[in-house]
Amino acid sequence: MRWRYAALVLGLCAWAVLPFILPRNLVDLLVFAGIYTVAGLGVGLLLGHCGIVNLAQAVFYGIGAYATAYLTVEVGAPSIAGFVVGALLAMTVALLLGWPILRLTGYFLALATLALSIIGNALFYEWDWLTGGTLGIGGIPKLEAFGFALDTPLRFYYLAWLVAFLCMLLAHNLAHSRTGLMFRAMRDASDAAASLAIDMQWLRTRVFVLCAFFGSLAGNLFAHYTSFVSVQSFTVDKSFSFLLISVLGGVRSVFGTVIGALFITFLPEYLSRLGDFHQILFGLALIAVVVGLPGGLVSGFDLLWRKAAARKATPHDR
Amino acid sequence: MSSGLIVQAVLAGITNGLTYALVGIGIAAIFKGTRIINVMQGEFSVTGAMITVLLLGRASWPYWLAILGGALSGAVIGTAIELLFVRYMMRRQASPQSFILLTIGIAITMSASVLFFIGRSGYVLPPFGGEGAFVMLDAVIGSHALWLIASALGITLALRLFYHRTTLGLAMMAASIDADGAATTGVDVARMRTLTFALGGILGAVAGILVTPLTSVDFAMGINLTLKGFAAAILGGLTNPLGAAVGGITLGLMESLATVAVSSSYKDVVALSVLIAIMIFMPHGMLGRAGRRGG
Amino acid sequence: MMAPNGWFPRVIVAGAILAVAALAGRDVGAQAPEPIKIGAVLAITGAAAGLGVPERNGAVVAEKAINAKGGINGRPIKLIVEDDTTNPDTAVTKANDLIFNQKVVALLGGTNIAPTVAMGGITDKVKLPQFAFTGLGPDVEKTRKCVFHMFTPHALNARTLFEYARVIGAKRVGVLHDSGYGTVVMRELNNITKNYPDVQVVGVEKFELSATDATAQAAKIKAANPDAIFVIAVTATAFRSIRQLQMNQPIVALNGASSYEIVSAMGSAANDIVFPEFVVYEDPLPSQKEFLDYVMKETSTRAKNPESVAWDAMHVIAAAVGKVGPAAGNEKLCEAIRGPYKGVTTDYDFSADDMTGIKLSGYIFSKLVNGQYTRLPLRLKD
Repeated sequence: MRWRYAALVLGLCAWAVLPFILPRNLVDLLVFAGIYTVAGLGVGLLLGHCGIVNLAQAVFYGIGAYATAYLTVEVGAPSIAGFVVGALLAMTVALLLGWPILRLTGYFLALATLALSIIGNALFYEWDWLTGGTLGIGGIPKLEAFGFALDTPLRFYYLAWLVAFLCMLLAHNLAHSRTGLMFRAMRDASDAAASLAIDMQWLRTRVFVLCAFFGSLAGNLFAHYTSFVSVQSFTVDKSFSFLLISVLGGVRSVFGTVIGALFITFLPEYLSRLGDFHQILFGLALIAVVVGLPGGLVSGFDLLWRKAAARKATPHDR
Repeated sequence: MSSGLIVQAVLAGITNGLTYALVGIGIAAIFKGTRIINVMQGEFSVTGAMITVLLLGRASWPYWLAILGGALSGAVIGTAIELLFVRYMMRRQASPQSFILLTIGIAITMSASVLFFIGRSGYVLPPFGGEGAFVMLDAVIGSHALWLIASALGITLALRLFYHRTTLGLAMMAASIDADGAATTGVDVARMRTLTFALGGILGAVAGILVTPLTSVDFAMGINLTLKGFAAAILGGLTNPLGAAVGGITLGLMESLATVAVSSSYKDVVALSVLIAIMIFMPHGMLGRAGRRGG
Repeated sequence: MMAPNGWFPRVIVAGAILAVAALAGRDVGAQAPEPIKIGAVLAITGAAAGLGVPERNGAVVAEKAINAKGGINGRPIKLIVEDDTTNPDTAVTKANDLIFNQKVVALLGGTNIAPTVAMGGITDKVKLPQFAFTGLGPDVEKTRKCVFHMFTPHALNARTLFEYARVIGAKRVGVLHDSGYGTVVMRELNNITKNYPDVQVVGVEKFELSATDATAQAAKIKAANPDAIFVIAVTATAFRSIRQLQMNQPIVALNGASSYEIVSAMGSAANDIVFPEFVVYEDPLPSQKEFLDYVMKETSTRAKNPESVAWDAMHVIAAAVGKVGPAAGNEKLCEAIRGPYKGVTTDYDFSADDMTGIKLSGYIFSKLVNGQYTRLPLRLKD
C-alpha cells in the first residue's frame, strides 16, 4: 500500500516538472493531449460501458468552443459565461437529439451520430454570423489564474491537466458506482437488465448528455488555449480522432484514454520528422496497434508490467 | 420552378444516388459475408480508378483492359487485407470496434499512399459512350451517366442472383449467418470470408471506375464515398444489395430535390435529417423486415 | 512484488517513457549558428496539399537561388519546412517548435486561413514576421502588423469578377460557390454589387467543399439564364457540373482553382474559363521569365501562383534581413519589411492596411482554351 502512495507522489512530481524540462512544442502537444483526454473520456464512457459508438463528439466540442468564442469576443462576457452556456447548450442538444436517436442500436446508431457530426459541421459553416464560418473567431481572451494570464503552453498545461484529472476521477467513480453496474448490465445482458426495471433508454440518454458535457468542456479549454476557433477544427475527422483515442487506449480504462490521447498527439509529431510519407506510417502504426494489441494500448502496459513483475518474483511468490 | 429543373434534379439524384449505391453495395457485400463494417470501401474505389488511369495513360493499355486491371486490383487488395489482418484478428476474436479501427487505419494508409506515390492531382477517365449527351424534357443527361445507371442496376441484379441462385453465393451467405452450421455442411468458412473481401474489393473498384468520368478521382475522395455508401447501405438494411441500391437512390434524390426545392445551403442538413428520421421510423431499413440486418 | 493495479502507478510509467522519449527527441546541442533559419508551416499532406506542396517547392527553389547568390551578406540561409496536415492545431505546435526551438527569423505559412490565424496568435505576440499564403482573414488579423499576406483580400477578389464581367459586357451573372472560402467571397460580392449596377447577379448557389457533383445547383443557375458564371471554389467539381449541363456561358473563377492538377480533373470542361491571377507560364510577364525558368530547371514543373508567392516571400525576408542584419530582432525586421516590394508575382506594399498592397492593376488574366492556359492581353485600371 505504501508503495502505491510513493508511486502516486512520484507520478505527480514527474507530471508537475515535465513542462519545465520539455521543449515548448512538446508541452504544446501535452496541452492538446490533455484537452483531447477530456473529450475522449466522454466517448469512452459511452463506448466502454454502454457499447455506443458516438461519432458526434466533435459537435459538442465545437459548441463549447464557439460558445466561449462568441460570448467572450462578440458579447464581451466573462469566460465563465462561455463555460456555463457552452455546457448547457451542449447538454440540451444532446438531450433533445439523444432521446430519439438513442432508440437505435448498433451500426444504425453509429451512422446516426455520424450524420449528426456532418449536420453539425455543415451548420457551423452555414451559420457564419455566429461562428465566423471559414474565417472563424479570433482574439479569444486568455484565461487568468492567480493573476497570471495563461498564455503560454507551460501555464495552460496545469489547467488542462488538472481539468483532465478531475474528469478522469469523475469517469472512474461513475464506472465503479452503482450506475456503472447498471451500465455493464445494460451492455452485457440487456434482457436481464430490462427485467430488473432499469430504464435503459433514460440511462443511455444520461450518459450521452454527460459525454456532451465532457465534449463542450474540452471545447472551452481549446478556445481559450489557441485564442482562435474555426470550422476546420470541428470536422468529422475530429470525431474519428476522439473515437480513436478511447478505443486505441483501451475502451474500458480511464487511464487508457490518456494513453490514446498521447498516442494521437505525439506519434504524428515524431513521424512527421521522417518525411512526406509520415501519414502512411501513422496508418500502419494504427493497424499495428489494432491487430497486435486488441485490448488497446493499455493492455500493452499491463503486459510490460506483468513481465517486469514476474521476473522480479521470487519462487515462493508464484 | 420549371419542370425542366425538377427533371434535371431527378436525373442528377438518380445518377449520384446510384454512385452511392455502388459503394454501398460493396459495404453491404462485405458486411453480409463477414459482419465487418468496412470503413475503407471508398479507398477501393479510389485505388481501382487510379490504377485504371495509370494503365490507360502511362501503360497505354486499351480502355477495357485497363478497367479490368483496375477492377482486379480491388480483388487483390481485398484478398490481401483478409489474409494479412482479418484472419488473424478473427482467430483472436477481436471486437467489432477493433475491426472498424483496422479499416480506419487501412483507409488512412491507402489515402496517404495515393498522395505520396501518385500525387495531389485529380484524374478523369474517358466517359463511356463518348462526350455526347441527351436532352429529355428540358434536362440534360450525359451518355456516361446513362451507362452508370445501367451498370449499377445490372450489378445490383447480378449480385442478387449470385447470392440466391448460385452455390458459391449461397455458401457465402451461409458462412456469415451461421459459421458452425455452414462448416458442418462442408463450406470452407475461411475461404468464403476471403472471397467476400475480394468481392467487396471488386465492387468498390468498379464503383470508382464508373464514377471517375463524371467526378474525377483524387487522393482525398475515399472517405466521402465511404460515408455516402455507408448511408446507402444502412438505408437498405445493410445486408441487401438491392436495398443498398434503393437506399442510394433515395439519398441521391433527397439531396438534389432538397437543393432545388429548399436551398443549396441546407442540402446536407435536410438529406441527413431525413436519413435519421427514416432510420428511426423504419428500423428495418427501407425494404422492411425482409431486408434488415442492422446492429 | 505484486503488479500494482489502478491507474496512478501507470501514470509514472507513462510519464517516464514520455519524458525519455521526449528528451531523446530534442535537438541536442545547437550547431554553430551559421545559417540564417527561415521556417515554413505548410499543408504538405491533407486536403490543402494541392497548394502546400507547390508552395514548398517555390520556397525550396528560392532557398537554392538565394544561397547560390551568396546568401544574405555572405551567410547562407536554411529553410525548415514543417507539415501542418491542413490542421490548425498541428500548425500551432509546429510554429511553437520553429519559433522557440529552432529560432527562425521569419515564418512562412499557413496555406489556408485557419492555420494562418492560429499561428498568427503566436507570431504576433513576439512580433515575428509571418508571410501568409492567404488573403487577409478575420478582423483580428487587421491588428497583426507583422503578419504579411501574399494573396489578395477577398474584397479585391470579388471586384475582379465584376470587373471582368463588365469587360465582356455580361449583364446577368450566376454564382456557384463552395461552402468554405466561397461563402467568404460571396459576402464581399454582396457588399459591392451596388458599385456595379450594370452587372446583375441573377442566381447564387452553394455546394459542399467535398462535393463531387453540383449538377442540381448548376441547373438552378441555368434556369436563371445568365450571360456569364462566377465560380468561387477550389476544386474542379463546379466546372464539370456546369459544362456537363451543356451550359456554354463563359466562366470566370478565382485563382484558387487555377492549377494544372485541377485542370486535369476538369477533363473536357476545361474550356472558356478565365482566371484573374498572377502567373501564366505559357505566356509570362518579362519580369517572371527568370523565375519560371529557374523552377523548371530545378523541379521540371511549370510554376504557378503558389510557387511564386513562396519565392517572393523568401526574397522579401532575405532582402529585409540583408538590410537590418540577422541579429536586429523581430520588430526591426518587421519595420524593414513594411513597405513596397516588386515581386515576381506582382507588386506588393506590405505597409498597406490589407497587409498585401496588391492593386487591381496587379492582376493578369489567364484563359483556359481546350485545357491549355493562354494569357489575355487584359489589364485592369485601379
